[in-house]
Amino acid sequence: MPDALFPRILARVPDYAKALLRAMLLSHGEGNVDHKLKEIIRIRLARTAGDRYFAGLRSAKAKQQGLDERAIDAGADDDDGGAHLSPAERCALRYARLMYLDPSRVDAGFYADMKQHYSEAQIMELGAFIAFHYGMQVFMRTLDAVPLATPNH
Amino acid sequence: MQEDEIDEGIANYRDSPRFSEAGKIALRYSELMALNPGAIDAGFYEELRRHYSEAEIVELGTFIGFNIGYHTFFGSLKFYPMFSPDGRLVSQQESERLYGAVPASLAG
Repeated sequence: MPDALFPRILARVPDYAKALLRAMLLSHGEGNVDHKLKEIIRIRLARTAGDRYFAGLRSAKAKQQGLDERAIDAGADDDDGGAHLSPAERCALRYARLMYLDPSRVDAGFYADMKQHYSEAQIMELGAFIAFHYGMQVFMRTLDAVPLATPNH
Repeated sequence: MQEDEIDEGIANYRDSPRFSEAGKIALRYSELMALNPGAIDAGFYEELRRHYSEAEIVELGTFIGFNIGYHTFFGSLKFYPMFSPDGRLVSQQESERLYGAVPASLAG
């Protein structure tokens, strides 16, 4: 994640490409928040942005960890995400949903609620992850891009 | 660059003589990406190409996307610049008074 298309587009500005791809991979693949949760958040954000490219990509690492399409759809389309999601995971998904659909509701009270589930470092990790990926997804949406291969290839 | 040029570039760039056609379409690109990304279609990119190289378009697009993402996140954290316009180190309370509790936005 991503496939070769996004790097090819960014390669028109080589210095940007290196920095942005590094930030993208680091924010998604490293850190102290569960990778599977981040993958659901990333797909939820891409659907919010109307970006078919990033919405169609899947993390091989998350798949290896057991994340399947049913869990992705449950978490990406619904804050409750079904009974299998913890209160902390639901809070993170609500954070991602509100950030760009109703940001005025992400207020001090919301962050106080988040602090019951996450450390400040984890909240910053989630917030920066959400901001970065959503920004790139909005850009890719305007290019009307789609993944190079179907999810099963 | 002065504050009035920034304000004009946000609120009145279409009719402003201060911006070139290339500057106006870049400002339009940022406005649409934030408020109506569905309006940025192949025709819009064709128009951008009349003024910018592909490298410059990717530079602009990623810069704008990055800023859309981060400004919303930063806005939710409610923090303000550490320094006043005249260079004094100020508290967050004073900075909020100086810079405004609600920033002017394209949507506002």
